Amino acid sequence: MTPAAWAALAGLAIAGLAALFVHARLRARRLRSQLAHAVSELERLHRSFARFAPEEIVERVIAAGASRGGERREVTALFSDLVGSTALASSVPPNVLLEILNGHFERMSRAIAEHHGHLSTLIGDGILALFGALGDNPWQSHDACAAALAMRAELASYNRELAAKGLPELAFGVGLHRGTGVAGLVGSPELLQFTVVGTTVSIAARVQQLTRELDADILVTQAVAEHLDARFALEPAGEASLRGFPGQVEIFRLV
Amino acid sequence: MLDAIEWETCWLEPRRDPALERALRDEHGMVPPSAAYFSASPWLAHSMLALEMVERLHVSAEIADLVGLVVAEDNSCRYCYAMQRTMMRLQGFGTARIRELEASRFAGSLPPADAAALELARRVSRGDPRAAEERDRLLGLGWSADAVGELAFLAAVHVYLNRISTLPALPVARVERVSRLPGLGLVAPIARRLLRSRPRRSRPLEPAECAGPWAYLVESLARLPAGRVLRRVLDEAFASPVLPRQTKLLVFAVVARTLGAAASEREAVRLLREGGIDPDALAAALRHLHAPGLDPVDAAVVPFARETVRYRPAEVQRQARRLLPLLGAERLVELVGVAALANAVCRLGAAASAPA
Repeated sequence: MTPAAWAALAGLAIAGLAALFVHARLRARRLRSQLAHAVSELERLHRSFARFAPEEIVERVIAAGASRGGERREVTALFSDLVGSTALASSVPPNVLLEILNGHFERMSRAIAEHHGHLSTLIGDGILALFGALGDNPWQSHDACAAALAMRAELASYNRELAAKGLPELAFGVGLHRGTGVAGLVGSPELLQFTVVGTTVSIAARVQQLTRELDADILVTQAVAEHLDARFALEPAGEASLRGFPGQVEIFRLV
Repeated sequence: MLDAIEWETCWLEPRRDPALERALRDEHGMVPPSAAYFSASPWLAHSMLALEMVERLHVSAEIADLVGLVVAEDNSCRYCYAMQRTMMRLQGFGTARIRELEASRFAGSLPPADAAALELARRVSRGDPRAAEERDRLLGLGWSADAVGELAFLAAVHVYLNRISTLPALPVARVERVSRLPGLGLVAPIARRLLRSRPRRSRPLEPAECAGPWAYLVESLARLPAGRVLRRVLDEAFASPVLPRQTKLLVFAVVARTLGAAASEREAVRLLREGGIDPDALAAALRHLHAPGLDPVDAAVVPFARETVRYRPAEVQRQARRLLPLLGAERLVELVGVAALANAVCRLGAAASAPA
């Protein structure tokens, strides 16, 4: 072959290599961009998920999948329910009802979070909050009662806002109990929630139902009361039989 | 990533102290940007540099930087996160590489030993008793006990630095802006040399030199430069006259109780009893975070100490600000330092002593 032919061949080879190089660089850039986008999406989902579950739970799910492994913990359960919610629902248009309820949940949620609680479940207009479920909390009963008092104050403040707008005011009943339960992710692949399973939550719910009978807004059991100090004003409210549970439970009003 | 975290206005007024700055420059070669906020507590200003610049014998610079990033993110410390990103960019890490490292947590693309190292750091940061599992995993992957101890110490250092930045709400706007400046990597060759230059190696601590509060923890790090630094920081913190020793020990006791760090709690209680605290007041303080027998400062400090363990930044910043009228700025700065140190020491102690 002539030198010119060799030169042309070399030129073609170099051009070919250059084209391959550019193609590879472009492909790598495209893949990096796709990876970055995927990671951003994952982070966005991570942050969104955090609205539904504490960071701790999110981390566990990411690390181990939606593992159902539970652990037995001592917890304080707070059960709150609105009084007269049926009448409320029929007295205002649906969109106003949701606005009122969401405003209520926002304030109650803040009071719970500020006192180291975890809002486990919303059931209609009811709230289940747990203290000591995510990790050991030596002061969980104190926190739960402080949260209940903060919720009372928040409700009073919210009612002033509602009254100023000519909207119906709210009233609630809160029950608290302390005991052991199994904490973990409960549900099906379609719907999971972090909660505590066991009698502790059920007893708190029964105690909440007693608030109407006993004309109180916040009731606690002896199991909670024995962990409190004198800063919490408690009035004995007698012993009560709780539906579905044997024996009697000593109850106190949290003043 | 942390830009959206709510952050209060700083409740400290910066006050430059030329004598302190000279001392910092003489000993550590630099004056940190935040020194002016901590001039009321010279030991605190020194401790920031002494801890951050502790000589590493085992942990690589890259892992050490990642630990800083991971722990800052875990504690939602916008200030430290931005500072860490800046330091990494100054050393030549591109924005894309930092993003990759941040994202590797989701993409699972780190080598197993590096991933285990960062997981240990995260668990130390959270005071997670499962830190022992990651410690064992690292030992199984060939890390020495001293290397694991050094790694846990680095995580604890960042727990400390995060809190002294977060609790006063150090201003973040400028730091975050700097961390995003283009071209920071241009000074990488010089910055790397300056930041990674190794000081003269300090000798291991003799047993007698470990003596003092939390001696058992210092002894566990005695073969490392970290041990000597920890001993000095603890001694200077407890020697400072701004807050009484009892107040500081109450902070340690409450933080230890919150974290379930039994060894640290025992140490704090032992020292409090030696100092003559009323036993009933101590028992009530730990049981209820309140005791009628405590003076007003201790009565306010005890519940606040608990809040420094796990928090939303804006909330704990507001709580700190509420203590200003009672404590004044000087004592509140000291309290920030002591609470931060208690959180670091108790987490480190829990990771070191957790059963394998």
